[in-house]
Formats: sequence, C-alpha cells, structure tokens
Amino acid sequence: MTKKTLAIINSKAPYSFNHGKDSLDIALIFGSYEQGVSLFFQGDGVFQLTPNQDGEQLSLKDYLKTFSAFEFYDIEDIYVCLESLQERSLASSFHIENVNILPAVDFAHKLKQHENILRF
Amino acid sequence: MNKLAVIITSPPSSNLSVTAIEYIEAALALQIEIVGIFFYQDGVLHANTYVELPSDEYQAQAKWLALKKEYNLPLHLCVTAASKRGLQVDETISTEPQSSNVANAFEISGLGELVELTNYADRVVQF
Repeated sequence: MTKKTLAIINSKAPYSFNHGKDSLDIALIFGSYEQGVSLFFQGDGVFQLTPNQDGEQLSLKDYLKTFSAFEFYDIEDIYVCLESLQERSLASSFHIENVNILPAVDFAHKLKQHENILRF
Repeated sequence: MNKLAVIITSPPSSNLSVTAIEYIEAALALQIEIVGIFFYQDGVLHANTYVELPSDEYQAQAKWLALKKEYNLPLHLCVTAASKRGLQVDETISTEPQSSNVANAFEISGLGELVELTNYADRVVQF
C-alpha cells in the first residue's frame, strides 16, 4: 500500500452551487495522475446522480455528462448514502453505472479506509 | 512522518480563515512540516490585494504574507479558480512588480500541484 487514496465527498445539489464541478475537476486530475480516488455522495450531493437532468435548461453547463468518463479515468469506487436517498424519496437509479449504495454506517466505514478526504 | 498539507476553499470573509491560520501556526509551533497550502474555490480570494477589510477585523492576507515570510510556506493558487474570480493571474509572470491584484507571496499553480501535495503529505486538512 504505497499509493494513497483520496475520498471526495459531494454534499451539495448539482446546479445551485459550483461545488460539483470543482469536485469533478479534482477527481479527473487525480484519475489522470493515476492516483486512487473514490467518490462519495451524501446529503443533497445525491442529486448529482439523479438521471435525466439537463443543466442547459438552467443555462448552466451540464457537467454531470462528464461523469460517464469516470471509467476512462479508472474512477470505479463510487458510493452513495442510502439514508440520503431515502430522506429525499429518490429511487436507486442513477445516470452512471456501478454506483454502490451503502447504509450510513458502511458509508462511514468506507470513508475511513481512505488516507485523505476532501469535501465539496 | 509529520508532513501537513492544507487546502483552503473558504473565502477571507469566512471565519474559517482564522481557524485555518491558527491551525497552521499551531502545527508550525509543534515542528510539523507544512509542505504547502493550496487555495481552491473561493479560497483563492485570499490572494486578492484589492480585498480590504475594516482595520479592526482579522486581516487574513497579512497573516498569510507573514507566514510566507517567516517560514517560506508555499502558497499555491489554483489558476482556474483564480481567473474565474477576477484575479489577474497572467500578470503575475510580468517583470513589473504589483502590476496585478495577486499578492506577491502567492504562486500560480494548477490542480496537478494538489496531487503532488496530497502525495507528499502525511495528512491533508481542508478549511
């Protein structure tokens, strides 16, 4: 285990703030430097995974489209908090594949396995 | 095994600036090596020389400059975040000093530098 892993927590809804895009930029940079990076979605951040959204309708750049590039950057560890989905009555369908739904306790446990955590 | 990197994403108007700076000062007092400070999102506004706060309020920028001067801490500014927020990042490479609104102590970096810092540090803390 010489490689360090970064966990990025996404906690804000996609189009109210720029945090999602700022977080995405970091994820892709770490991916392109072949650093381990995992993505966590929690709180209103789970809305970033909701399917069929179109930022263009809000005159905003649709950065969520870029999520489909994760596999090219070897970003494969993607976790979403079950309770956050339930509290918002969201179905477990997402606009990208391979999203792991974890109950809060497991979500926290998974986070703990990472060396560094950034939150957006 | 005592290397710290700090990521600043809060603007100077946030009280988290005080927490961050006091945290860094405390770490330095404990002989912890600070490998670098990376300013991202609204954190880049810390470099803006045009930001003026009432003189009886906490002067975050003056603190950063003092930390740079005393400990030669690398203060990295994310170029994309900075130009989005009106910092004249192109001017900083000009030979004329103070021709831009970026304080001299800050250096223009990219997210690649963040990768380097997190790799090099034993611990990364975000404010």
